[in-house]
Amino acid sequence: MTTAAPARTRAAAVPAPGAAARRPRSRRRLAPYLFVLPALLLFAAFKLYPIGSSFVLSLHRTVGGKETFAGADNYNRLIHDPLFWTALKNTAVVLVVQVPLMLALATGLAVALNSRLLHGRSIFRLGFFLPMVTGLVAYGIAFSVLLNKDYGLVNWLLGLAGLDAVPWLTDPLWARISLGLALTWHYTGYNAVILLARLQTVPAELYDAAAVDGAGAWQTFRHVTLPGLRPALLLTTVLSTIGTLQLFDEPFVLTGGGPDNATLTIGVYLYQNAFKYFDFGYASAIAYALAVLIGILGLIQFRILGEKT
Amino acid sequence: MLKAAGALAAGAGLAGLTACSGSGADGATGSAGDPSSGRISVWSWQGPAAELKALVPEFNQKFPDIQVTVEDIGNPAIWDKITTAMAAGGQGLADVLHIGVDYLPGYVEKFPGALADLGPLGATAHRDAFAQGLWQTVCPDGKRVNALPWEANSAGFFYRADLFEQAGVDAAGLQTWDETIEAGKQLKARTGAHLLGIDKPASQPDSANFFQLLLQLQGTSYFDQDGAITLDTPEAVKAMTLIKTMNDAGLVNDLAGGWNAQMSSLKKGTAAVHPSPTWFGGVVEEQVPDEAGKWKVRLPPAVRRGGPTAATVNSTHLAVAGSSKHQAAAWTFIEFVLTRPASQVKIYRGKGIAPALMKAYEDSVFHEPSAFFSGQKKGEVFLEALKAPSPPFYYTADYARALKLVTDAQSKVLLKGADPAKVLADAADQLAGQTGRKVRR
Repeated sequence: MTTAAPARTRAAAVPAPGAAARRPRSRRRLAPYLFVLPALLLFAAFKLYPIGSSFVLSLHRTVGGKETFAGADNYNRLIHDPLFWTALKNTAVVLVVQVPLMLALATGLAVALNSRLLHGRSIFRLGFFLPMVTGLVAYGIAFSVLLNKDYGLVNWLLGLAGLDAVPWLTDPLWARISLGLALTWHYTGYNAVILLARLQTVPAELYDAAAVDGAGAWQTFRHVTLPGLRPALLLTTVLSTIGTLQLFDEPFVLTGGGPDNATLTIGVYLYQNAFKYFDFGYASAIAYALAVLIGILGLIQFRILGEKT
Repeated sequence: MLKAAGALAAGAGLAGLTACSGSGADGATGSAGDPSSGRISVWSWQGPAAELKALVPEFNQKFPDIQVTVEDIGNPAIWDKITTAMAAGGQGLADVLHIGVDYLPGYVEKFPGALADLGPLGATAHRDAFAQGLWQTVCPDGKRVNALPWEANSAGFFYRADLFEQAGVDAAGLQTWDETIEAGKQLKARTGAHLLGIDKPASQPDSANFFQLLLQLQGTSYFDQDGAITLDTPEAVKAMTLIKTMNDAGLVNDLAGGWNAQMSSLKKGTAAVHPSPTWFGGVVEEQVPDEAGKWKVRLPPAVRRGGPTAATVNSTHLAVAGSSKHQAAAWTFIEFVLTRPASQVKIYRGKGIAPALMKAYEDSVFHEPSAFFSGQKKGEVFLEALKAPSPPFYYTADYARALKLVTDAQSKVLLKGADPAKVLADAADQLAGQTGRKVRR
């Protein structure tokens, strides 16, 4: 390499004097917008327009095949619709029971997968993450086959152990439990991987310091690991909440929202109104109620779990 | 559930519905085209789709320039597929659509023009060719013909004659359902078999078929002819009370899971009676061929002594999409399949699908003794039902909502022992709230 080379590079990097002044200011301002324009147009066409159009739709009723303006009728109907409240209650049950259990399990898994005592950690990490890659409908169908009362593998195994067959999908309580089991199987590993990624950023010095101070395993977990996991816990909680409120695939495939509406979620109820009853206005109102709910719950979680700066 | 889609995931539910602005097709997008040439597609499901495919070569001998593609979309998937295509103004809809009676009024009312008027194409000529009541189903206003009837299913009472004999009960002599319940108790005590089965948790929407049958035998349905809700009538309460009485006496086998559970019950012989439509006879023969001679069939007992025992429980139809560019060719195919007795006889031989076309019944296949059904002339049993006065079942565009509420009510009765009168009154009120219809009490 000659000594002249860096000089040439430098020279090339320096703009000719007055070049910027010669380029019109407006064009310089326009360039970044032109670059983001394609993405913006796609976003407007496939997200913004549908969202706006859906709101307009939620203010209409279909009467005799024609859209008629109904004002807040659909929203008013929603408030007095017992099935909507049932769906909300079922969704809340998943949110209050399944999500915390799953996140606790994911935290435990993350700590275990991070442990140096564990051999073949990457194999375990892969194994726990793999369910997330499975298609929603595919795993829903797999679970419905496994949990079938008369021909399912699970009841067959229970039978071998001398236990009675469990009506996994056909009894209201068991159907809820089955749904919870399916969700936990599918999403725990995914959350564990997020938490694990965060766990690996917690400085080792903190653990050393805790050990020097004589902290036990539980105290170390409570005072070092958990505070370190806080941002990741917030993320997984918020994402799980959004996902739970939109829960559709699993109850739709496993139970169709039954038995006796025990697993009817807001997503399934929205689907029924749109595609079974052709009531698109009402279904749009449900979608908006759902969006508002997600917004409110997200805010609350940020307030409670967010970093106190 | 957990989608890494950020806060915008909230919009996913909102974005999903806009394709369905409910504007529907105006029917003006399609055109008649040439009646003897063109490329047409047909949507149907399982058995009927296979039978339609089998008819195509014969059809092409007569109409070589019409290319027919039959697609087996599956049932219930076909309803969602039709709905979304209609909501998108007929985009991607097949030319010929196989539609059940429970969906037809909804499609017609919610998507005006999504189905072509078959009147101008020549359908009116066949007005009197079908089983009674069916023309009103496809042409409710007496002007516009929305579809043409294909199959007409009457309620049947398929039963294990050997079990009844073992229990010392004359099944053919049962006059009413109350008598049948008493016979069922004896049957259960002596043979261990249940009287019949119901999908108690309503895992499938058709779990209310038996309740619907009991309504029809009393001349009522979920709505009256003016569209008022009739879920809270004495007839409806009577029907649900009969079901509760059977269940409380331990006579109802739980068919949770729907179709598969019913097939398993059929093979295991856990129920002595299957109150099912005409086509179910073919299913019994297919599933338990070794039980030939043990089965018999009759029309169901009446709810009230001397009341009707015949009911056309459902029908299916072929329609032409309003968006089709080959409506005339599509109509040519429909006419060939549904108004030509030979086509219908072939379909009946293939899958036991009962024709709505009355002329088809002149064929000997409907009058042959059936070895499986103990030498009975099965075809004649159902022909008698088709000829008997059968009260119409008013579906309306809100049938799907009503059905959901009815199946929920029935589950409460069967699983929690709820009071039939109360759950039906609640269902009627809820339906009124959802649809703005009046309740007739």
